[in-house]
Amino acid sequence: MATVMKTSRDVRGIGLRIPRVDAPEKVAGKTLYVDDLKLPGLLQARLLRSPHAHAKIKRIDTSKAKALPGVRAVLTAADIPELEPGAKTRGHAMMAIDRAVFAGQPVAAVAADELAIADEALDLIEVEYEVLPAAVDPIKSMDPKAPRVADEGTEADTSEALAHSGIAPTESETAQNAPNVAQKSNLGRGDVAAAMAEADFVLEKTYHVPMVHQGYIEPHAAVADYNRATGQMTVWATTQGSFNTRAEIADILQIPEASIKVIPLECGGGFGAKIRALVEPITVLLSRASGRPVKYVMTRREELEAGMPAPSVTIKLKTGVKKDGTPLALEGETVIEAGAYSGAVLTMSGVFLASVYQWPNFQVTGYEVLTHKPSIAAYRAPMAPQTAFVIDSHMDQIATQLGLDPAEYKLKHLQKGGDLMAHGQPWQPNGASECLQALMEHPVWKGRDEWRASGGKNGAGLRGTGLAVGGWVPGIQPTSASVRLNPDGTLTVLTGAVDIAGTNQGLALIAASAYGVDIERVKIVTGDTDTSPLTGISAGSKTTYTVGAAVIEAAEDARKQTLDIAAGELEAAVADLDIVGDRVVVEGVPDKSITLAAIGKKGNTFQSRVPPVFGTSALGFSVQAPAFAAQLARIEVDPDTGQITLTDFVCAQDVGKLLNPLGAEGQIQGGAVQSLGFALTEGLMYSDEGRLMNPSLLDYRKLTAADVPNIETIIVEVPAPAGPFGGRGVGEPPIIPAPAAVANALQDATGVRLTVLPLTPERVALGIVANGGNGH
Amino acid sequence: MPKMVLETTINGEAAELLVQPYATLLEALRDTAELTGAKEGCGTGDCGACTVQVDGKPVASCLMLAMQVRGRQVRTVEGLASEDGSLHPVQAAFVKHGVPQCGFCIPGMIMSASALLEANPAPSEEEIRLGIAGNLCRCTGYTKMVAAISEAATAGKEG
Repeated sequence: MATVMKTSRDVRGIGLRIPRVDAPEKVAGKTLYVDDLKLPGLLQARLLRSPHAHAKIKRIDTSKAKALPGVRAVLTAADIPELEPGAKTRGHAMMAIDRAVFAGQPVAAVAADELAIADEALDLIEVEYEVLPAAVDPIKSMDPKAPRVADEGTEADTSEALAHSGIAPTESETAQNAPNVAQKSNLGRGDVAAAMAEADFVLEKTYHVPMVHQGYIEPHAAVADYNRATGQMTVWATTQGSFNTRAEIADILQIPEASIKVIPLECGGGFGAKIRALVEPITVLLSRASGRPVKYVMTRREELEAGMPAPSVTIKLKTGVKKDGTPLALEGETVIEAGAYSGAVLTMSGVFLASVYQWPNFQVTGYEVLTHKPSIAAYRAPMAPQTAFVIDSHMDQIATQLGLDPAEYKLKHLQKGGDLMAHGQPWQPNGASECLQALMEHPVWKGRDEWRASGGKNGAGLRGTGLAVGGWVPGIQPTSASVRLNPDGTLTVLTGAVDIAGTNQGLALIAASAYGVDIERVKIVTGDTDTSPLTGISAGSKTTYTVGAAVIEAAEDARKQTLDIAAGELEAAVADLDIVGDRVVVEGVPDKSITLAAIGKKGNTFQSRVPPVFGTSALGFSVQAPAFAAQLARIEVDPDTGQITLTDFVCAQDVGKLLNPLGAEGQIQGGAVQSLGFALTEGLMYSDEGRLMNPSLLDYRKLTAADVPNIETIIVEVPAPAGPFGGRGVGEPPIIPAPAAVANALQDATGVRLTVLPLTPERVALGIVANGGNGH
Repeated sequence: MPKMVLETTINGEAAELLVQPYATLLEALRDTAELTGAKEGCGTGDCGACTVQVDGKPVASCLMLAMQVRGRQVRTVEGLASEDGSLHPVQAAFVKHGVPQCGFCIPGMIMSASALLEANPAPSEEEIRLGIAGNLCRCTGYTKMVAAISEAATAGKEG
């Protein structure tokens, strides 16, 4: 495990406020995304999708489409022998075989010379459906008599849970009498019934969060080029992990991984949705069928109708506390709606419900339920925003109803390092309390009484303030990296880590600090699956934590090799050497030195006996470093329309050690606005037949610049013992607390407690009316 | 349908493009003129990733037919920097403030912001937020963007 590197002096490295190296090409529009790629003979693809949530496919006739000039390949399930019933994941179910299980599931694919021709070909494909009853509501879908979603014998998919948090269901079973329950989990401790009986105050509520889309602006896209002569395929992907994409394509198409090369291009936003294979397998098959390179880019409508959104979550929560608020017992039941294929991060819900705040007695049950809707995938801290909305809304209500200060109440019962999580493992040291305390000191929190009192006067709306805490247990995954000294004295850092969050800048800063040169001498490269060291997916807030540790070790290795060579050249002891600026110097002997370029050149010179400097590292990990954030919302509510206006929003987050300030702030601000999207506007809405009612960005409302205030960031640093320079994951915590913070502020402003997201004007206004009209 | 000849001016240079009569301006720019800076995020004018300027005004190029720019001035993100390669003040401020994350919305965002500053050289924070409200960004939360545009406005005034 990497330890903090001791450098004898400061280098321009970690903690420096410098812009990303890729920023100039991004602002110039020069960055290459998959849809920007052009290849000779490139075909364009379109998919025909089922308009029905559940339907038997009785007949497909593609003959007219195939006859259309310019059409180069038409595929249906009949043309894809790799497809098997009982598909475990969406990738395995790239095409409906004889039954479509969600509106938007592909039933045919076309590759043509032009998009317009492919579109015309789709119109020429005849499909005869027999519409079947659909399971659309997750609670009703748990009924043993509900229309069955999965084929009989389909296994649950727990890989997503493992990818993100390393916590898989502890007790998994398929309920024999409820075919749409894919997974069940159960975590408990103590005697809940007895403790609940002793409680002075019992609060029971049911909360609901709808499916939301991750909202990346770049749709899913792939270009595939199958080489008929060699059997090799090259895939240009927008992915969060090229090795994972390669493995999934190989598994789905039943071909060796070595026959696939995945080249990750710039990922135009992923947020969890670009981990699992979605468009790559069918694009590869179209290329194989046509013998030409093929590009497939999903439309926005396809993204919303048939992407891989976050699940809908319904949580019933009952708590019992003493008069002074002391937690006694918690009973929770989580229903996660996974859509048509399993893949939920099930157990995390129980962990967050029962152990972000410490409950001595608890029982938390979780169900993953299938419905006839698009199957889900991760969305930035999967399950955490939904669960934090529930537990932090609940804690706020307990405090308010018992006359306690909600922030002090939460602080008192918040987990601390060493406390046990619901699944029995201890919390590692973390800055949850420090984040909350930072907000409690903030003027917006301290001024909450004045703010509330100023509401309703002089034409102002109702005013309130709320805060919430949320945490994440980042994932871990083995990884490797190399650091090379070039003949010009610069370093090249090579990993396979796809840079979805500015991590490459952080890794370059880490390499600079660990080797002992300024950042300007470091070039960071993300390689493809043929050339780069094995690297895990960029997800689970673990890129800097894991790949960063490998980069430190590889850079230290390169430094050691450099100093060893310099010691020979300078006839000095390694202990007397240091790297200063562009050279290795002998301490105390100013005129004795050798440049890094000279050492680099010796490694690349004919007849030279000096080996190249090539530092490597390959690491596995066992310790996760929890990462917490707390967020504070000050709002104003129009009592007539129910419109919530955010006037201030503050995020405090424990980053362990601030490595890349601009990047960390950007992550926190962006995550916060996604979190506010959960809170205020976002939700996929389905008809009773299972059709999406808001399949455009006009109707699926994401927050714009005009909807939010400046997001203030407060950096908290509680070092992670095993993290690079003490750093911990940054990406996921900021998306967690806002829904609860805003719901708590809404109650503070209006007295209305909403338990269903998003907090739309309609729901708020109806709540105010139900409360007696004026909000108080 | 037979293709048509589109005569227009793109980034200050006369251009002659052969396009389908039903091609959008975005398709003409990306596929025919090989200027891929403008992106397609939705194809329905809701996300702003395809924003370019026509006669100085920001437009969603996915909603405009290519033939509609006949004889007009089109500017894309590729044509925003000076001829010597130095970045437009908005581009430079985006770099300095560390605005771009995934970068996909950035070209459209910059075209909206630079058009805003042409029309209103000293916008308030609210005017900046409204000026880029047609451009969705999912990574940044807009805070650094607004600061960068505000600084670019100041730089423009001083310059």
